[in-house]
Amino acid sequence: MNVSQEEAQASLSTIRDVKVQTQRAAISTYASPMMILWGTLWIIAFTATHLYIEHGQHIFTAMNVVGIAVSAIIFYQLFHSKPPFREDPSERIGWRIAALWILLYVYVIIWLFLLAPFSGRQCNAFIGTAGMFACVVMGLWFRSTLMIVLGLAMTGVTLVGFYLLTSYYCLWMAIMGGGGLFGTGLYIRLRWR
Amino acid sequence: MAQLDNIIHQPVRLQIMSSLVSLDQNERVNFTYLRKLLKLTDGNLGAHLSKLEQAGYIKTDKTFVARKPQTFISATGKGRDAFEGHVATLKEIIEGEKK
Repeated sequence: MNVSQEEAQASLSTIRDVKVQTQRAAISTYASPMMILWGTLWIIAFTATHLYIEHGQHIFTAMNVVGIAVSAIIFYQLFHSKPPFREDPSERIGWRIAALWILLYVYVIIWLFLLAPFSGRQCNAFIGTAGMFACVVMGLWFRSTLMIVLGLAMTGVTLVGFYLLTSYYCLWMAIMGGGGLFGTGLYIRLRWR
Repeated sequence: MAQLDNIIHQPVRLQIMSSLVSLDQNERVNFTYLRKLLKLTDGNLGAHLSKLEQAGYIKTDKTFVARKPQTFISATGKGRDAFEGHVATLKEIIEGEKK
């Protein structure tokens, strides 16, 4: 078969485009609903805490309960409805992802007991950055640059708010943290499918 | 110089294989999704999948999800090797003409 350099180049471009498209779609399927959900919850919880700082602990407890419950429902739906992607049942890694997040929450609770006493702002930043650490780990695990960048960027946003914008920390986190998560989730849902 | 793979080189099959090899080895993709991703008709995609399956490059798995029939498709080890060889040959062609 005779193929010119131009044809070979065009074939390689097609391969690159389809690979990127497929990987983006795979990430979009699972990550975008989670980002939209947690982004929305962060916007609501941080804004409410800014307005009613004395109820911050209850607001975030409620946010975590709602977030975990809705995340579980979304994952159940994705795995059991009509998933575009599916893992080989003999090599399922879904349970390992769930185990990572459950373990993280358990360890965060242990660390909070060990580190107490702390302020609500410290607790908040600690849980947030721990979640972003898991996001970076998952990015490395699944070779997703987006998750690595998102995890690192959100960690940076949290640190900037924590150290530089003390009085407006919650409002900063609502807009930059929640808005960033929500915006990224929406962007990949609309553009990567 | 290694030979280009005639089965893979066809444009639609090249796209199908590119999509399948970009997934992890334990991942499969469903028929409807692949059809939408590559903007193909049912018949066109089905025909090309048959060719690839006959060559042993892909594996189809028919199953029921939420009581509805689903077809999942994945690249086989042989298919991944053939695809890698094909890509290497394309690169050789480009490099060869540069020299």
